Amino acid sequence: MVTTLTTPQTNTWADVFATAKGAVYQSDADRCWYVDFAGKVAKFDYRCLLKLKKAVYNVNIEAKLLNVKDPDVEIIFICACDHTYILTLLQIIALKELLEGTFVMLQLNSILQDRLYRIAV
Amino acid sequence: MKDLIRIRSLISADVESLLNQQVKKEATSSSIYLAMASWCNRNGFDYSSEYFFKQAEEERQHQLKFYKYILDMGGNAISPDVTGIKQEYNSFREVFEDALDQEVSVTQSIKNIYARCLSEQDYVTNEFLNWFLKEQREEEYKARRALELFEVIGEEGTGNWEIDKHVGKIKYDSEA
Ligand SMILES: [Fe+2]
Ligand SMILES: [Fe+2]
Repeated sequence: MVTTLTTPQTNTWADVFATAKGAVYQSDADRCWYVDFAGKVAKFDYRCLLKLKKAVYNVNIEAKLLNVKDPDVEIIFICACDHTYILTLLQIIALKELLEGTFVMLQLNSILQDRLYRIAV
Repeated sequence: MKDLIRIRSLISADVESLLNQQVKKEATSSSIYLAMASWCNRNGFDYSSEYFFKQAEEERQHQLKFYKYILDMGGNAISPDVTGIKQEYNSFREVFEDALDQEVSVTQSIKNIYARCLSEQDYVTNEFLNWFLKEQREEEYKARRALELFEVIGEEGTGNWEIDKHVGKIKYDSEA
């Protein structure tokens, strides 16, 4: 049996963004992101990460803060993705911060890739 | 670190969402024109009814053009909900006033997407939108011409009957 050795796939996760409350890593090999938050590490592909972002950004935090009758819990359910989060308002704020940073870093990465490898100079 | 988002899709999430809103706008246009076709037919304006049936079909094609573009670029095209379509009109003229309003709003919306694409250097989508900019020239011209008929022919006597006949003949064939 002949085994063709290709360049070893280093299955490492790159740091995308981290806060005191959580972190997001990217796996180039799996083409996905791992979100370490609220005590679990969850895998998200591109579609699901966008859905997570949308679900979290859509929570009206101010309205929830002002409404004392509402239970202090929010369910982030993402259709067709494997993960559901049940979070308190403080956690929502922390997750939003984490995702905001993540998307800024991803965009920065895109700009860097353009400048370093894609654009003829 | 690979640029996973760019690999997945040519258009940004923001542009994708604007394009999906436009899909909905074109679908709404199509439904509005269909309602207009019905109203005109019920009120004896057969040429205008025919004109609006054609417009409804065109808008459907516009919707599909946006829809397929989103998919081709790696995005997620969303089939829109269309509700609240006005079914009754107070006058023959009001139908055409609404038609022009609708086309103006479509033009403005496309201009807005164009501006957004320019700001993020999405020239690919800008090039795609060029077809629609030209199409809006035609759509606004036709809607404006129809309203003009109310001025030049006048609604007195058999005016509306005459206007209806001329609506069927409206054409736009600029070479520019
Ligand atoms: Fe259209
Ligand atoms: Fe047209």
